[in-house]
Amino acid sequence: MKRRTKFSGSRWLMQSSLFLWALGVLYPVVWTVLSALKDNPQFLLGRPWNLPDLPLIWSNFSYVWEKYSFGHYFVNSLIITIVSTLLGALLSATTAYVIARYAFRGSGLLYYSYLSYMMIPAFLGMIPLFFLMDDLYLTNRALGLIIIYTVTAVPFAVFVLVGFFKQLPKELEESAAIDGASHYGTFFRIMLPLVKPGLVSVSIITVLNIWNEYIFALVLVNDPTKYTIPVAIAVMQSEMQYRTEWGPLFAALLVSMGPVLLFYMIFQRKITGGITAGAVKG
Amino acid sequence: MNNAKRAGSARMKRNVFILSFILPTLLLYLVFGIYPLFKGIYLSLFDWSGGSETYNFIGLDNFKEMMNDDVIPKTIRNDYILVFGKIIGFMLISVFFAVALTRFNIKGSGFYRTIFFIPNVLSVVVVGVLWRYVYNPNVGFLNSAISAITGKTYDFAWLGDKWSIFALLPPSIWAGVGFTIILMIAGILAIPSSLYEAAEIDGASQWRQFRLITLPLSWEQIKTSVLWIVMTTLSGSFVIVTIMTFEGGVDNATQVMGSYLYMNAFKFGKFSYGSAIGVLILILSFITTVALQKLMNRENIELT
Repeated sequence: MKRRTKFSGSRWLMQSSLFLWALGVLYPVVWTVLSALKDNPQFLLGRPWNLPDLPLIWSNFSYVWEKYSFGHYFVNSLIITIVSTLLGALLSATTAYVIARYAFRGSGLLYYSYLSYMMIPAFLGMIPLFFLMDDLYLTNRALGLIIIYTVTAVPFAVFVLVGFFKQLPKELEESAAIDGASHYGTFFRIMLPLVKPGLVSVSIITVLNIWNEYIFALVLVNDPTKYTIPVAIAVMQSEMQYRTEWGPLFAALLVSMGPVLLFYMIFQRKITGGITAGAVKG
Repeated sequence: MNNAKRAGSARMKRNVFILSFILPTLLLYLVFGIYPLFKGIYLSLFDWSGGSETYNFIGLDNFKEMMNDDVIPKTIRNDYILVFGKIIGFMLISVFFAVALTRFNIKGSGFYRTIFFIPNVLSVVVVGVLWRYVYNPNVGFLNSAISAITGKTYDFAWLGDKWSIFALLPPSIWAGVGFTIILMIAGILAIPSSLYEAAEIDGASQWRQFRLITLPLSWEQIKTSVLWIVMTTLSGSFVIVTIMTFEGGVDNATQVMGSYLYMNAFKFGKFSYGSAIGVLILILSFITTVALQKLMNRENIELT
């Protein structure tokens, strides 16, 4: 009897803390939306948790989109994210395929050198990378960020895709060879389509990482027309020290949050599954 | 003869194929990934400020300079406050929630799992801006709440204090804990349910089941989480620090190694000194992960 009450006590504790944490996660998101619809006096005079007054200040969105050029930054981020994700997927799938399906000298070394790159703080190479990019005329250019994002996406993708390629049955290549398919044909027409689930989950994670990335974008881009969204938000916030425009600032946050939240809602299972896939096995 | 030739050309084709699939990736990776890392270590041994004229080898002088730099101990202290604060916060929260969501048959556990990961998909920049507003002395959430409850105006500058580094812990935990929750859930779900059934028959309490089954059998995930926290914090704390406290707060109160590296290199132009800080980050990450790995292995033996 005594144990039973104790049990339901801990249940109650768990349920309420789960509920509170969920609230603590969701509320800031909802609150950002509400705050993006306020004007300055509402921030300075009202409480932060007050609902926005009517009429809602929808103009905050057009204001950051045009005056603060977030429309432009949105396009920058979108192009960089899409191109580097596709490039990263192609470059890692090809490497992962040969590592997984072909025996050749140095294959193990190759695999482990990609893996160990994941363990090393990229910060260490930041300074030389900046000068290298500068020498190659790749600073202040989308192409520079695309290259570095592609390179940083490769190790994790190789790691996951090698696992996927290894699971495919040996007979696939044999029958393809009998049918006279070339190595390239076998890869593109038979093997690559079969690891599509792996490619999709790797790409989803790459998209999130690149869309949100700040450090490389900060170091490699100084030209305001080339900013990505995270850098633009950081710059906008540091200007808030001298000029407060809270509503537009939160509207700008939504330009970054909106797409990822939508993306997360669509691919939720793939994201949480893909992220833990490597870690749980290892 | 003909066969040998055909075999030779097949081998040739195979090699060309392998190379064509490896080289493009490898070249990019060597040039933009590996080369900068080694160049960073190399640069740390020079006195170099960007131009090519002054490129003097000075051995370990940058590291000696570090010993006399008052800010360096502060950055190391701050990084480890974040590392250990995050390890404790992350692990308490994620083990608690993971157990709650797997072993207690709670309604809506799928919903909670989905919700808890949301902060992890946001940019740390977004998280930093949001939490900077929470801490804002005049219009922020925290002080407004304290003022509303106490009835007195409260305007403490959470981010302008000597100990502001602790104020960066809640946002760091809020932003990242979803990952370790998901990881712990996956770990606990992988434990064979027959073990719990047997324990149930033996009349073991939930607490005993947790101590004797859940904890030892999900120890791998706990280890992975801890090492992940160490690595991402030592190399990534830079972002939350610069977004929330710009150049490292009042009198470097929140300066971390990463932000100090950035300032030295890209604000003061001390590129080789910055590189030396990068080497420091690498060495400390290495020592910390190895030490924690050793420590957690020993505990593992004691537990089982």
